[in-house]
Amino acid sequence: MKKSHRFGAIALAAAATLTLASCGFGGGSSGGDASGKTTLNLLVPSYSDNTQGLWEDVISGFEKANPDIKVELEVQSWDNLESVIATKIQGGEAPDIYNGGPFAGFAADELLYPAKDVVSSDTYSDFQDAFLANAEVDGTAYALPLIASARALFVNNALLEQAGVAAAPKNWDELLDAATKVSKLGGGVAGYGMPLGSEEAQAEAAVWLWGGGGSFGDASTLTIDDPANLPGAEQIKKMIDAGATQADPGSTNRSPLMDIFVQGKIGMQVGLPPTVGQIAENNPDLDYSIVPIPTKDGSAFTLGVMDQLMAFKNDDSKKDAITKFFDYYYSADVYVPWVQTEGFLPVTKSGAEALSGEEALKPFLDVLPDAQFYPSTNPKWSAADGAFKSLFGQIQTKSAQDVLTEIQAQADAG
Amino acid sequence: MSSTTDTSSNPAGAATGRPRTGGAGRTGDAPAGSARGKPGGRDLAKALPWIAPALALILGVVLFPAGVMFYNSTRDISQSGVDKGSVGFDNYVEVFSFPYFWPIFLRTIVWVVVVVVFTVLISLGIAQILNKAFPGRRIVRLVVIIPWAASVVMTTMVVYYGLEPYFGVINKFLVDVGLIDTPEGYGWTRNPTTAFIWSIVIAIFVSLPFTTYTILAGLATVPGDTIEAAKMDGASPARTYFTVVLPQLRGALSVAVLINIINVFNSLPILKVMTGSIPGYDADTIMTMIFKYIQNQHKVDVASALSVVAFLIVIVIVAVYVKVVKPTREV
Repeated sequence: MKKSHRFGAIALAAAATLTLASCGFGGGSSGGDASGKTTLNLLVPSYSDNTQGLWEDVISGFEKANPDIKVELEVQSWDNLESVIATKIQGGEAPDIYNGGPFAGFAADELLYPAKDVVSSDTYSDFQDAFLANAEVDGTAYALPLIASARALFVNNALLEQAGVAAAPKNWDELLDAATKVSKLGGGVAGYGMPLGSEEAQAEAAVWLWGGGGSFGDASTLTIDDPANLPGAEQIKKMIDAGATQADPGSTNRSPLMDIFVQGKIGMQVGLPPTVGQIAENNPDLDYSIVPIPTKDGSAFTLGVMDQLMAFKNDDSKKDAITKFFDYYYSADVYVPWVQTEGFLPVTKSGAEALSGEEALKPFLDVLPDAQFYPSTNPKWSAADGAFKSLFGQIQTKSAQDVLTEIQAQADAG
Repeated sequence: MSSTTDTSSNPAGAATGRPRTGGAGRTGDAPAGSARGKPGGRDLAKALPWIAPALALILGVVLFPAGVMFYNSTRDISQSGVDKGSVGFDNYVEVFSFPYFWPIFLRTIVWVVVVVVFTVLISLGIAQILNKAFPGRRIVRLVVIIPWAASVVMTTMVVYYGLEPYFGVINKFLVDVGLIDTPEGYGWTRNPTTAFIWSIVIAIFVSLPFTTYTILAGLATVPGDTIEAAKMDGASPARTYFTVVLPQLRGALSVAVLINIINVFNSLPILKVMTGSIPGYDADTIMTMIFKYIQNQHKVDVASALSVVAFLIVIVIVAVYVKVVKPTREV
């Protein structure tokens, strides 16, 4: 009797343990074509509350033009996206079209169609060359640029004026000086908003490390633990030690901190094109300006981020349908409103022309030529990205060198 | 074999022997001697149709995923989820050679012990109050269920936002009463130690209802005459409680502790929400580490290995608990 009870207890423990371990098995729909239709599965992340509606409009327009093709849409949050795609691939349920960030790992596993194979040559030549180059692995583009964004420094003019800072900072010394002065205003006001928390630590890291002349490496090698990255990392520590940032920068996430900027409690913070809309909606009275990101020597620089669409090789009979979908999507009439509503920058030449007159996008379009990108074609980048997210914030307490070493080690192990 | 033992044995506590006679009756016209001597063969064949659905469920929901988990833990699975073949026990080597593994392990033990001990102590008190008749007791009993009825993530998010600097109500309150002198508040969830302590507080809060109700059920089974007898003998209330009531709660307490240990050990959402933005591994338990392997590093293989380790740890803890406390021993 005692034995059976123990067995029961262990079975209970087993059941409870496994609820966590087994939650990775999700179902997926396969390309069912009962009515002779080709079904395309589309997995996309949610950029904003509009995303789902925008895709639904694209799909209904596309299905009207191509009645023999059906498109199944699945929208996931960015937080879950990468685990969802990994689970689907592991379960043999990869979507046909996927919108995401890092893709080199998929290309290395030979899961993707080369970009050339799934769009017409007209569409292919319409992409801006720099973006297409950024989607290449060993000279072949495996993903289609979807949207781009660039970053710039959002400055709260009122706070800077109150603190007696005459002009927006252009280099690190001016930034440190201005931020320290704003922080001294007191009342919970922070000079510089520095989000090094897990949400997007890699972006803030890039802003500083690259701004000091460093880089994360290229398609073949990652150079995170590199002397060139030290000046930027040391400058971050200097900012924190001088009290020029908000409290606990190491574990502050970007989105909530941006809300604080919008509320007018932060002097300066690096933001994205959608931030403009966010301010207009939540605090239209905020007196702010958008300036290029200050760097060590004041040279122009911005962190460019490009998201991609990629097509998975599931069933060769779907290739034509995928090509039709991409050609439809990238036509200026469909693509431009999509990009515009989401508040990002277009990656096609025709799109850039159509949006060149946009006032809000101008500061970002101006800095775009100086954009540097993550080495996202490096197969290890995804691991490095994760390592930045979970480790970089430690720079608040640990030495800059130790943090870089630890990130490099985790990235290399990935 | 274990399944037949399981079905014919008595559930804990109901040791009156009645189920056993019932079991003998169930064998019907079969000779009593053979049924008792060799319970295998025919009995099993007869029982199988009845227990098959349960067995299928256990196989499909418990054993199959466990098997897959163990299988995955010995494979090399690429970041995008492609299986690249066997690597033996390399994933386990990676788990144990991770420099933060032992701190995380110790933190997990602290997490389980502190949460379970405080939960049980507080629940004993609450159950005692709820066991007394007072006006409005029914409403108070319902109120105690609320933390249980609400989603754990929701409860945690409420506290998390309350603790946010700049706009959290808890921070605002502490600033207004003068306990914190920075006007934007303190980053409770931004520092590993404070975030971990708050997580413990929330874990205790959400574990209270179940534990309280289990103990309350136990209190209902304490016969009134034993307490009366103690009173007649002139025992003080404290002595009555510790020598008469508490020993009779043994069954209820052992169930409550066992289930709490497993639950708390496997709890992810509270720590995930409360410590998610903290860099490094200074506030992680084994569960959040499994999550980080999957989410940040996309190492499903290593995460599986750590899950297997976690599974073994739970089994060891439960085995030690069953051995030491002997929850089935009669009072």
